[in-house]
Amino acid sequence: MVRKGLLNEERNSLVLRCEGLRKRFDEIEAVRGVSFKIAPGESYGLLGPNGAGKTTTISIVAGLLESDAGEVTVAGQRLTTKSVAAKAAIGFVPQDLAIYPDLTARENLSFFAKLYGLRGKANRARVNEVLEIIGLSERADDQAKKYSGGMKRRLNIGIGLLHSPSLLILDEPTVGVDPQSRNAILESVEQLSGQGMAVLYTTHYMEEAERLCDRVGIIDRGELKAEGTREELVALLGEHDKVHLTGSGHLEAAAKACDEIAAVEAASVGEDSIELLVERASAVLPEILTTASNAGLTVHSVEVEEPNLEAVFLHLTGRALRD
Amino acid sequence: MRATLLITAKDLRQRLRDRSAFLVAFVAPLALAFAISVTVGGFSEGGATYHIGVVNLDRGQAATAFFSAAKQAPVRLKNEKSETTARKRVKDGKLDAAIVLPRGLSATFLGGPSVRIDVIGDPNNQVGTLVARALSDSYASYARTIQLASQALGNATKPLEIAQKSGSLQSPVTVSDTSTTRKNLEPKTYYAAGMAVFFLFFAVQFGISSLLDERRDGTLARLLAAPIPRRSIIGAKALTSLVIGLTSMVVLALTTRYALGAHWGNPVGIGVLIVCAVLAATGVTAFVTTLAKTQEQANSWLSMVSIILGMLGGSFFPLAQAGGVVSFLSKMTPHAWFLSGLQDLSSGEALSSIVEPSIVLLAIAAVCGGVSLLRVRKLIEP
Repeated sequence: MVRKGLLNEERNSLVLRCEGLRKRFDEIEAVRGVSFKIAPGESYGLLGPNGAGKTTTISIVAGLLESDAGEVTVAGQRLTTKSVAAKAAIGFVPQDLAIYPDLTARENLSFFAKLYGLRGKANRARVNEVLEIIGLSERADDQAKKYSGGMKRRLNIGIGLLHSPSLLILDEPTVGVDPQSRNAILESVEQLSGQGMAVLYTTHYMEEAERLCDRVGIIDRGELKAEGTREELVALLGEHDKVHLTGSGHLEAAAKACDEIAAVEAASVGEDSIELLVERASAVLPEILTTASNAGLTVHSVEVEEPNLEAVFLHLTGRALRD
Repeated sequence: MRATLLITAKDLRQRLRDRSAFLVAFVAPLALAFAISVTVGGFSEGGATYHIGVVNLDRGQAATAFFSAAKQAPVRLKNEKSETTARKRVKDGKLDAAIVLPRGLSATFLGGPSVRIDVIGDPNNQVGTLVARALSDSYASYARTIQLASQALGNATKPLEIAQKSGSLQSPVTVSDTSTTRKNLEPKTYYAAGMAVFFLFFAVQFGISSLLDERRDGTLARLLAAPIPRRSIIGAKALTSLVIGLTSMVVLALTTRYALGAHWGNPVGIGVLIVCAVLAATGVTAFVTTLAKTQEQANSWLSMVSIILGMLGGSFFPLAQAGGVVSFLSKMTPHAWFLSGLQDLSSGEALSSIVEPSIVLLAIAAVCGGVSLLRVRKLIEP
């Protein structure tokens, strides 16, 4: 694995430390030796395509699943599925909505706040605060089933914030969310991170990882391939560019042919395009176009992009994030 | 324990908002108990009276003795002018059956020729026909006894005198049927209890099987991530089942007691039986739920099991006289043991009479609940 330096690596007061996590489901090893750390106030993104092992890793880190091997420490306390104290330091926002539709927003929040030990006046005060944060104060006493999708999502996140956790875990919170709600969620996460809360955020959207996360771990097929800041990860590419050829015809054959060009490091096929990770694209672009054309691709447009996390992913795994 | 109570309170609040729980636990059993007891009670209640027509062609002392003897039976005798009229009234349903006392009946006591008593029945009213037949058989047997006594005394000319004397004597032997008549619950009690225990198996589902709801709705992941022991989640679901089950049974017992006049028996004994039945129902429900993978699967399996157990256990009709395999299978159900205990209590038996049913119900709860605990782990995985 390629590992770039931790932010303030010298700090020993880590909020989360995962070491060598492994988890197998029958024949499939979903998580293979994943290790990473998060410091207080840091936002860490786990970036990978569907099925990369993000949710399994998150489930272990949230204390839902027991790992087969490895260790998780949260706020200095070892975490297992049975550890009550370590779990109290975690706020968890599952990928799918996890609210009681028959209960009102206030009742949902109050119930979970009680589970985290907030009672009486403290409970009521914190519930009101969170209702303000998630913008549901005016609809607090309506049953959650009457809310719009975006409101339900906000309530889903609000429950994770109730006990002001040291570590907030958000598992793909924007999946299936409309653009407006998505933006609201991202803003909320930015605010929380700005307030000093450590955030572990999983996503398969490169833009979200780039926008929200101080550091990103790139995960694929259960392995953490690399981690670091955006700049550190992009630097792994060296002088590489991402070339995007949109066209029609034999996409697979064109990608395969282009992949054989020495300067092309990786090639992947999209719905109506191929993506290439190319060293010094300007020098080799004519050859790429000729090769693609000879392989049966009618090129409609060519786009050369500056390196980004998606290109890093392509570089590290040989496939695109959306694959 | 705090977490268990919190989750239970939340579950009960949800159930209160979900009217289906209210319907299943209270409304449906009450409505059915009322409907069935009213429908069935008409003919099977202890005080039912059968209307038997009598065509008195004898008009002698023997016929008078017949009318006197029949006063002890739960029948109302009506004189009919002729056999034809009696047949018509039986056919029209105005009489349950009719008996023809033949000419010469009194003469048989004086050594005359044998005669035949005819019973006119309706194939659609077998109970009425059986009652008339029993009256006639009883009277024939009585006539034979008098004849024998007369012969034994060597005074064949005075059998009617013997008959009159025998009527004033107290019988040295009395019959008391403790196995069926006395222990049979009156219909309103039987069906109140039958419906209560039948719907109990549906009512307790709202607790245990809601684990699958939590998993489907994603809230189980939140509960598992919360700083509470996993056993508190399982405990809360079981406690929710117990609270709903107990409330349902107690409300039904009280409502049917005061609204329908059902006689449930000793309150302490009934309390013990109800607690044992609720535990057994919770155990069985938990066991079936742990076999299912989805809420839909659990719902259909639980409904199937509840209906089969209810039918075999006698919730819909008494199976006391079924015998054979049905009787054996019935003894495998919590319903049968609950109703059996209730019959003992209702017939005035001592509290000790419910020890056996209670132990069996607790054993069912322990076995099913124990197996469920071993299997429930897979239900509380995210």
